[in-house]
Amino acid sequence: MTDVTFAPPRTEISYRALLAGLSLAALFAFLLSLAIGYGQLDFAAALADVLSGRDSLGALVLLEIRLPRALLGLFVGFALGLAGAVMQAFLRNPLAEPGIIGISGAAAFGAVLVFYSGLAAASSLLLPVGGIAAALVAGLLLFAVAGRNASTATLILAGIAVNSLAGALVSLALNLSPNPFAATEIMFWLMGSFADRSLTHVAIAFPPIAAGCLALFATARALDALALGEDTATSLGFDLRVTRILLISGVALAVGGAVAVSGAIGFVGLVVPHILRPLVAYRPSLLLPASALGGAVLTLAADIAVRLLPTQPELKLGVVTAIIGAPFLFSLVWRLRGDMR
Amino acid sequence: MLRFFLTVLLLSTAAASAAAAAKPQRVVSINLCADQLLMRLADPEQIASLTYLARDNSMSNLAETARDFQANRGLAEEVMRYRPDLVLAGRYTKRVTVDLLKRIGVTVLELDVPRTMEEVEAQIRLLGEALGQEARAERLVGQIAASMKAAAEEKNASQRPTAIVYEPNGYTVGAGSLIDELLALAGLENLASEKGMQNYGRLPLESLVALSPDVLVVGTPRGLPSLATELVRHPVLSHMPRPMHIAAVPPRLWACPGPDMFAAVDILRQAAAEARARP
Repeated sequence: MTDVTFAPPRTEISYRALLAGLSLAALFAFLLSLAIGYGQLDFAAALADVLSGRDSLGALVLLEIRLPRALLGLFVGFALGLAGAVMQAFLRNPLAEPGIIGISGAAAFGAVLVFYSGLAAASSLLLPVGGIAAALVAGLLLFAVAGRNASTATLILAGIAVNSLAGALVSLALNLSPNPFAATEIMFWLMGSFADRSLTHVAIAFPPIAAGCLALFATARALDALALGEDTATSLGFDLRVTRILLISGVALAVGGAVAVSGAIGFVGLVVPHILRPLVAYRPSLLLPASALGGAVLTLAADIAVRLLPTQPELKLGVVTAIIGAPFLFSLVWRLRGDMR
Repeated sequence: MLRFFLTVLLLSTAAASAAAAAKPQRVVSINLCADQLLMRLADPEQIASLTYLARDNSMSNLAETARDFQANRGLAEEVMRYRPDLVLAGRYTKRVTVDLLKRIGVTVLELDVPRTMEEVEAQIRLLGEALGQEARAERLVGQIAASMKAAAEEKNASQRPTAIVYEPNGYTVGAGSLIDELLALAGLENLASEKGMQNYGRLPLESLVALSPDVLVVGTPRGLPSLATELVRHPVLSHMPRPMHIAAVPPRLWACPGPDMFAAVDILRQAAAEARARP
């Protein structure tokens, strides 16, 4: 394969600075997420207890309750930001995002089936399997219906169909559950939350998220070539079928794994790539790491916000991301309204 | 016009005195707690229909008995089909249905959620009166008073282990609730009310760990999972430096006022004894 040469971004240094800045922001948000919570916790003392292996209550709260929450914010946000950037570049569609086109909703349905049927109680590993399988089916369905060169409108309409169906099926499955609490839990699955998740949830979600992200990063150079047009990419030696397989399986693994433990969190994959794209000279391969880190920052920040807002019970994460993301979507639609006709 | 009003007035007073004299004959309940009190107080012939929840073993203490009656889902149209002369509803549930039933002239008795034993007794007497079963109501009140007296005599007041009730979704029960009174009757000290929590509120997992009670009172598993009931299986609870004693109280025992509350007290007293015995 030949390397694609682009006009270099304004300066290599500014890109490094961008990544360093985003990494620092993610690290800061991660630490803040550990420091903020509900109990009165002496953070420094608890951290010292954790590091010296003392079994204090503070150490327990930090390690078993706050750490999983912060880790999930980091991993899930990373996956969502990356998936959005890859999908927008590959589909050459500014509105492509796992939430909007229904992949997250479908993953929620898969996880709901596995969880409420009691399968996940038998083995927690089955929970992400359900999410991934359903996300894969939705991805294949969307490609079959909308295809790669579908217009924005076609893709979004197909996404609306998948989303509505997934939402209805989640509701159906929860209402059929004999457990009286199940029906009220639809908010978790359709809006997402990291509240009171455990290290077990991190452990089952991390492998698919990591594998999915690797597959998505592997599309980077093909995405650069694709930016020059499909024929150019093919003539440069990129097999777009391989890219498509990497994309569908990567999104299914990363988003399916994330949704299975945290519910569907919308708009992260839409907002972050759009904000960062001008900063990387519109080059897809540079956008991917930046967007992944940006997704982590946004998700961690939203999770800190829901803990600071004095609501009872705690707000779902998707409420905050939608309040940020929906106006953003409006502004995109406003700009695109000429092309959509 | 005046004559019309007079007729209406006469008719309604006549209807009221007739109702006082005669027992209601077609009582429909659209509330799980009312279902159970109704089965205990009324003659079977008086009962037209109970909620379908009353037949569910995990929620109702009289599931078997409830199967003898017709079930409803608490919808106005279903209720009207029985042409009820009395409908029993909860004070806080099915508000839209209750408003509709009242608007079309159905007699609805709304039962409050009792917060103390006195309120439980008052509620039983109120319902007994409405059903024309005062004697049976007095007997039930007497039975509850006797159980309370027995529990008060048995309780070990000198050493009271601390307890937190942890309900699905992390809700807990504080002062000013019936469950708080039952905990006290079993010789437990409710930490949630100690911490100033009133009635019913959410206790984040972090705060529960920080409080670290001797006894954690949870519901019993209901078969298939939900996120709400998974919370008590969070690994942090099994890693506590001083493990908590887990007392499983089937929610049906104390979800509704009635004599079964004392079966919950027995379970709690047992847990308190085990917590005291621990080093």
